[in-house]
Amino acid sequence: MLKIRNLRKLYGNYHALDGLDMEIEEGALYGFVGPNGAGKTTTIKIISGLLMPDAGDVEIDGIDALAQPYRLKEKIGYVPDYFGVYDNLKVSEYMEFFASCYGMEGLTARKRSQTLLEQVGLGDKLDFYVDGLSRGMKQRLSLARALLHEPVLLVMDEPAAGLDPRTRLEFRETVRELNQQGMTILLSSHLLTDLTELCTDVGIIDGGRMLLTGSVEEIIEKIHTSKPIVITVCDNIQTALSLLKEHPLVRSISVKEQEILVQFSGSGRQESQLLTELVQSGVHVRGFMREPGSLEAVFMQLTRREEERVVLSYDADDESGL
Amino acid sequence: MTLMTNPVYKREIRVSSRSFRLALVLLIFNGILALVALLNMYSMLTQVRVTAEIQYSSFLDLYLFVAVLEFVMLVFIMPAITAGSISGERERQTLDLMLSTKMTPMQIVMGKLMASMSTMALLIVSSFPILALVFVYGGVTMKDMGMLLLCYGAAALFAGSIGVCCSALFRRSTLSTVVAYAVLGVIVIGTYAVNQLALFFSRMPGGAYLVSAGMGTGEGSSGGFLYLLLLNPTATFVMTMLRLSGREAAEGRVTQWFGTHGESFLSRNWVSSSVVIQIIMAAALVWVAVRAIRPGKRFHK
Repeated sequence: MLKIRNLRKLYGNYHALDGLDMEIEEGALYGFVGPNGAGKTTTIKIISGLLMPDAGDVEIDGIDALAQPYRLKEKIGYVPDYFGVYDNLKVSEYMEFFASCYGMEGLTARKRSQTLLEQVGLGDKLDFYVDGLSRGMKQRLSLARALLHEPVLLVMDEPAAGLDPRTRLEFRETVRELNQQGMTILLSSHLLTDLTELCTDVGIIDGGRMLLTGSVEEIIEKIHTSKPIVITVCDNIQTALSLLKEHPLVRSISVKEQEILVQFSGSGRQESQLLTELVQSGVHVRGFMREPGSLEAVFMQLTRREEERVVLSYDADDESGL
Repeated sequence: MTLMTNPVYKREIRVSSRSFRLALVLLIFNGILALVALLNMYSMLTQVRVTAEIQYSSFLDLYLFVAVLEFVMLVFIMPAITAGSISGERERQTLDLMLSTKMTPMQIVMGKLMASMSTMALLIVSSFPILALVFVYGGVTMKDMGMLLLCYGAAALFAGSIGVCCSALFRRSTLSTVVAYAVLGVIVIGTYAVNQLALFFSRMPGGAYLVSAGMGTGEGSSGGFLYLLLLNPTATFVMTMLRLSGREAAEGRVTQWFGTHGESFLSRNWVSSSVVIQIIMAAALVWVAVRAIRPGKRFHK
């Protein structure tokens, strides 16, 4: 659905995007994560045809988006991180105005607007003035507006920002429903828990580059396997250690009293096999647990700034010296 | 996409017709015109009672007075209406929403400009009954009226496109409005001042060559600087008004302004030439505005 290759954008001397690569499959709900200034909004604006990159390719549904911006706009529904409302305009008029911006007029525009407003739960607010709506309602209106022309890719930039927990939950459900109806969605957010629960795929961006991308399961699995297994034994620790040393999937071992910390690169099934082998060799295992990983942890690790890394490595060296 | 199907134009008209501001502007605009016209008429009639003489030229003066006042108000109101048109969209954060649709930057700019022109047209049309007071006594032909309307239209378009262009170039409406008025000031007062200066220098001993070298036609004139006035809507308006009642013959020759100049095609067709030039300038300013809001090609201050 969306293919981005080597996307670059320079603001003065600042590299907002520095060779970004990204791919979104049809029907995916893609979570786009990154710290402030990582390049999320710049990427989204380029995808939505609001900004031209300095270099790179953007292909959406088989269309070269940079060469055919007019055709691109038929494919994209854009929900920014602000609402953009007019004074003195009613909800129905707001929708009909944007419908006419997509070439829909009269009854077609009215019907389409009404259907979408009902879908987002604003069917009874047709005669309300837009600037009088609550924040949550404005966000739902913004979503309905973006769906007017039946886009194939919905691009949402921090859509849940500033919403209260209930409204956020309702908004999340609406997004999930849209995705279940087959719409491909690109969703940028700071709320990693939301993305973990909602998205099928995630991409982590920082410094204008994609640091990590893949399905949520894959990423969680990667994070999971990077954590050590903590094995607590009652006795026969030497037997356990000799077995672990021989194991091909064990990368490192460290011992602290009766606890053995094992860097194990195998899957969950291979972990259970390891436990079975330990028990069968006569080791009395009291605890066998891999520390749970989280998207937050990997996000923090990946997006750690260079200066922070220096400080942390200095601290680590300092500690090891003691 | 025609004007009537331009979504921006339709929305602007809908919103402005609903707002209290338009009604207020109409009331103040026509109120001032009517007050001035009626006071002028009252003073003339009082004079008639005292002197028992009817001076028909006074009724023509009434027309001139009302037309001048209307022109001044139009030129002052137009930048105020247009200078916040695109920057206002940016401030409301709706410009990007429109640009993310199938609307082109040209359609957005034209929709904005034409909506402002429609408001101007409404002001002009609503003032017709006041201008028509002169028809009771005669002295002004339909052609004169047509010329006046053409002059109003060109001035409004030019002033409006200056406002729209500034609005597209500057992010904040306040700054955009200040710059639009400054540009208009330079065009209206600046071109006049340049001619006055050129005339002043040309009349200084030995200063004539400054002006006449390559441009001037003789001593004691502003030389080629005269043609800068083609950009000045006020000069066009003055020429239009001087056509009335044979005044053109006496003082309406542009070649007699700022010293004596030679005849040329432009001086012979001053009003039409300046109207065409102002329309071309307006088109150029619209083009700049379109370039300024085109995605990826922004150069905001």
